[in-house]
Amino acid sequence: MIETLLFLPIALSIVVLVVRNKALNIIVTVSYAAAFMAVSILLYFNPASFTPYFRIDDLNVLFLLVLAVVFLGVAVFLVDYLKNNEAPAKSQSLFTANILVFVASMTGVILSTHLALLWVFVEATTLSSSYLIYFSHSEASLEATWKYLFICSIGIALAFVGIIVLSMGLGDSGSLFFDDLYAGARNITPYWLKLSFPLMLVGFGTKVGFAPVHAWLPDAHSESPSPVSALLSGTLLNAALLGIARINKLMSLAGMRWYADNLLLVIGFISIFVSAVYIINIKNYKRMLAYSSIENMGIIAICLGVGGAGLFAAMLHLAAHSLTKAAFFLTSGNILHRFKSKQIEDVRGLLRSEPATGWLWMLCFAGIVGIPPFPIFLSEFLAAKSMFDAGMFVHMVLFLLLLTINMAGIGKAVLRMSFGASTDGPAAHGAGVLSYLPQFAFLALLLSMGVSMPFFVQALFQKAAALL
Amino acid sequence: MIQFIIILFGLTMLYVSVTTRIESYVKAIAAQGVILFLLVLFDYGTTNLPNLIFLSFETLVVKAIAIPIFLMYVIRKNGIYREIDPYVTNHSSLAITTAIFAAGFYIAYWSAGTVSNIRPFYFGISISTIVTGLFIIISRKKIITHVMGYMMLENGIFLLALSIAREMPFIVAMGVLLDIFIAVYLLGLFINKVQDSYSDTHINTLAKLKD
Repeated sequence: MIETLLFLPIALSIVVLVVRNKALNIIVTVSYAAAFMAVSILLYFNPASFTPYFRIDDLNVLFLLVLAVVFLGVAVFLVDYLKNNEAPAKSQSLFTANILVFVASMTGVILSTHLALLWVFVEATTLSSSYLIYFSHSEASLEATWKYLFICSIGIALAFVGIIVLSMGLGDSGSLFFDDLYAGARNITPYWLKLSFPLMLVGFGTKVGFAPVHAWLPDAHSESPSPVSALLSGTLLNAALLGIARINKLMSLAGMRWYADNLLLVIGFISIFVSAVYIINIKNYKRMLAYSSIENMGIIAICLGVGGAGLFAAMLHLAAHSLTKAAFFLTSGNILHRFKSKQIEDVRGLLRSEPATGWLWMLCFAGIVGIPPFPIFLSEFLAAKSMFDAGMFVHMVLFLLLLTINMAGIGKAVLRMSFGASTDGPAAHGAGVLSYLPQFAFLALLLSMGVSMPFFVQALFQKAAALL
Repeated sequence: MIQFIIILFGLTMLYVSVTTRIESYVKAIAAQGVILFLLVLFDYGTTNLPNLIFLSFETLVVKAIAIPIFLMYVIRKNGIYREIDPYVTNHSSLAITTAIFAAGFYIAYWSAGTVSNIRPFYFGISISTIVTGLFIIISRKKIITHVMGYMMLENGIFLLALSIAREMPFIVAMGVLLDIFIAVYLLGLFINKVQDSYSDTHINTLAKLKD
């Protein structure tokens, strides 16, 4: 089953590139997304492995399911997006093929049981997503793609240095399988392990979008087409984060919990601080969402660093953020389509002029800043509580303060855009129901999770947290 | 002999740090590829034939021939010959690179005192090369120079990988090769695109997106 996830998209992307038919692109994307969802659910009930290199365990099944849900939503949204898009069939086929390979490489990252293989797939995500960011062929998107490609390549090179340094510390066994690393954690030379962790944290952290190595993220997320932004923010950041989570586990098994936790806390707090600084006076609403992704990744890093109940909070936050942010980015695409501007000041009266988009915009805002009953409230509350339990009062106060600043910044922009008299913007674009359905589905899923979490969903998060 | 070859590798980095001619950068990258090939042949001591063939191919064909030819093609096509007006003068650039090498050796010998299984000479030169590559990326303005700084950084990483006296899994080496190859291809392609859009491959033209 795993082989379908890895090989089928490659085959499909070749078919798409050869045939170059607009309708076929849409059919292939949606049906593959549906198949991906079905296979992921089957794998959830029936964990399997495919060669020693790919395996489903309790931790990555959560990441796989999140990827499946977000990808399915984005694929449905793409139906309208590609239909209305005027790019020639050749570009659209290239776009579709890149989406398929991009999803396949993220699946590879998620399922890898081998550190170096995981690294190879992270690099593959960079290469396959660069065309997606450049899709609009504008000068701004060219700049964004260049920064993305270059900064992430350097980051990933540093992560490779980290892997080499780690294997220096391994002694004779030399195996980079996570199982072998975990089993022999105590035998790794501490000197090399301590050197390799920051390198890998910065390296994979570049892809996650941790500040101060986040420079590519606001540009890439704001210049790429909105469905791509949703995929980048909702799935790519998670995939890279899985690498860090796995290394973090190695550190705690090797008895260096304290060292790793503090580095994660530092990088997490820098991330939410940087996003607060930029978000409070933001002018461009897509960049606002990008900074909010940096903030949320920072929150997850802090949760991982605090430990205890924080681990559960980290997994819950990760899933909730992916769905909320994907819905948010897709909605921003609807706004951009109607108002033809990414500036906050150009958009007024969303609730009156386009009620569906306006309500989605408000609900996504409520979801991302954690207004109950959205699950992000629960995860942020749990994060603060685990800091309280650990006696980290200064951290807790700082955490809540920075979250409030972020909330104020996003709230200011979202409320300005939603209320007020509706400006006589360009005529309504008549987007079909498929441009709204995925977002409402994501939000409904989140609400049902927040109001009363089914036991099997809770078990999913608990089992994943137990492996951290 | 091996030490002499590695010293030559370090010298290419010092040479790059003082030159402004873009073609000299390409020559230095080609020289590094040849040096890595010699190291694979004489020092790596692999007993696995496919591995040896693969590594020779990667160093000699890809790093020493294909990538330099491609970079040369990009340079000639776009008429970029000199790194004009870098952020740091040649003189201070050389001083900084020398300082990086000194610090690299210091760390290498200090580490060798702490842990046993490293070869300080290899380790010192390779981490100095990695840091110098980063320094070149930061201190130069042309986009093509950034790409070449990145290639040198990759060469430094390759040297570091060789210094571990253990064979990398074949699949990983494949991945590395593929990544480098595609990265260069894409980066080169982008330079051409940037040239078309902006009429100058200067990093300042790519600084419009900001808050």
